[in-house]
Amino acid sequence: MNGQPGSFRRVLPVIEITLLVLALPLPWVLDEFWVLFATKICILALLALSFDLVWGYAGIMSFGQALFFGVAGYVTALLATKSGVTSIFVLMPTAAIVGLVLAFVVAVIVIFGKRIPSVIFVALGTLTGSYAVERLARGWSWVGGQNGISSLPRLTAGSFEIEEGMIFFYIALAILVVTYVLVRLLVRSQFGLVLTGIRQQEGRIAFFGYQIQSYKGVVFTLAGLIAGVSGGLFAFHEGFVGPGQLGPVLSTQVVLYVLFGGSGTLVGAVLGVGIIELISYALPQLSWLGESVTAFLETGWPIVLGLLLLGTVMFRPTGLIGLLVSDRERVGSFGRPGRDDNAAAKPGHEPA
Amino acid sequence: MSAVPFFFDVLAYSAIFVLVVLGLGVIASMMGIFNFAHGEFALLGAYTVYAFQQNGIPTWAGMIAAPFVVALVGLVLERIAIRRFYSAPIVAMLGTYAIALALREAVRALLGGRFHSVDAPLAGSFVLGEVSISQWRTAVIVITGIVMVLCWLLLTKTKLGLQVRAALENPALARASGIAVNRVYAATFAFGSALAGLAGGLMVPMYSISADMGVPFLIKSFLAVMLGGMGSFEGSIAGAALVGASSAALPWVIKPVVADLLVFVIAIVIVKFRPEGLLSTWRK
Repeated sequence: MNGQPGSFRRVLPVIEITLLVLALPLPWVLDEFWVLFATKICILALLALSFDLVWGYAGIMSFGQALFFGVAGYVTALLATKSGVTSIFVLMPTAAIVGLVLAFVVAVIVIFGKRIPSVIFVALGTLTGSYAVERLARGWSWVGGQNGISSLPRLTAGSFEIEEGMIFFYIALAILVVTYVLVRLLVRSQFGLVLTGIRQQEGRIAFFGYQIQSYKGVVFTLAGLIAGVSGGLFAFHEGFVGPGQLGPVLSTQVVLYVLFGGSGTLVGAVLGVGIIELISYALPQLSWLGESVTAFLETGWPIVLGLLLLGTVMFRPTGLIGLLVSDRERVGSFGRPGRDDNAAAKPGHEPA
Repeated sequence: MSAVPFFFDVLAYSAIFVLVVLGLGVIASMMGIFNFAHGEFALLGAYTVYAFQQNGIPTWAGMIAAPFVVALVGLVLERIAIRRFYSAPIVAMLGTYAIALALREAVRALLGGRFHSVDAPLAGSFVLGEVSISQWRTAVIVITGIVMVLCWLLLTKTKLGLQVRAALENPALARASGIAVNRVYAATFAFGSALAGLAGGLMVPMYSISADMGVPFLIKSFLAVMLGGMGSFEGSIAGAALVGASSAALPWVIKPVVADLLVFVIAIVIVKFRPEGLLSTWRK
């Protein structure tokens, strides 16, 4: 966060620090239920970060982030239940590696290659992968079939059992913050500049001699790693993995989080998760809205969510964060501070 | 197991699938929009038939109404939202996905999250020699055949078809030649939706209706469109026939779960190495 004089006010660091400061004392303020809720948001925020990295920065439309999330969850859950491994120091790296390897395999199919694949092909390939693996998990009784694997043992660190609650919250938050900072350094480096170039004008960057597919593949694989960690944490926090954590429903839910919050800012993804999860939970509970409204929201909330997303895509392509952060700041600066004055809009985001 | 009923099963599934893919393919190749709500259009068609049955109106009336109802929905959506997405394929993808979500959840709220079955208008079966063949499946195959021939005639022999093909080939030139391209687009979108609606309506008696029935159809149809190659009528049908037949036939040979996976993987790999579609080799 190197200070750059004059031209615009930086809002992103303010939002980031505010969120962190708000998050830190949470377990002391809230009761048990809300701490679990906050932990879940931290874990899902990791997943959203992974999507924002591929879509918001490299322009890869991945409809399959849940694939890495879910498979990592399954593998760690199987390790824990079938061979009794519960150490967090074994399981989380395993989750990360599973996500990484799987994302690499998917990248080999949909991204790497002689031809530059079309956006549609990548979107479809990842969506199909997610759907196919969900079907596989549902039909495979060794991994629990429809019911998934439930009552997972708790994670351990040495002889210490990590209970859901305060400690788990801080672990999740710490992983989130560390990942966030690393990703942020990555996207603001020279590497990130190339990524942004690819997102804005793929052809031009190719003419500069960059291997576009390699860059995209690397980012995609890294995002897979993050999604994997998130999936591992999620499985042990919920004490459960099921086919729902693999499929297109969660994959597209992530897309929703990020677009709603605002893609290409990282913090937008985190905000999106927090706000959507909070509204999803809270709205059907509000009694002052009247009984019929509450009854409708209980079943009809996803309808509202769909319309909300449609509205966002149509009228506010920069998401909620676009209300606070200028385009200039969203594009940002890279490497060492320098002058770049043309704040271009994001691709595919200009209203048609 | 006798081969004839099996063959009919595969054929009936493929026929319905061809209808879905044709609608999706026309929209995709014409407007460059991959309509993520297409599976939900089929679902709406199915729901129309179900709603007719619930209200005591015969199902065949529902099946006739389904394409019109869905075409109307498609037309309204095109006017409100879809037309903003032309020339921005990614935004279109997200926008139609949002529409799909809203439609799916609306139907789920109406259905109460359960599976429902609908009676076929033709319940009996033929007896040919020793095998019996479901009448409804036969009807589906015949109807699909007729609709396909009509579509082909519409596209190749009528003035409207000429305008559609012109707008598909070169929108700017079509516009300069005095074709109201926007109106053609709207009509095509409604038409594609109607095909999905018809497919959904015809399919309910064979597969029970549930809110999630659209999603697998959507993914398979996308694969079929890409497999057949965008922008061609024959390509879409060929791709649909291939994906439809293999995903209906393979589960009889190997485990259904593995069969699905296999179809997906093979399709994706083919599309990767032949992004122009299978038919492109012969057309040139």
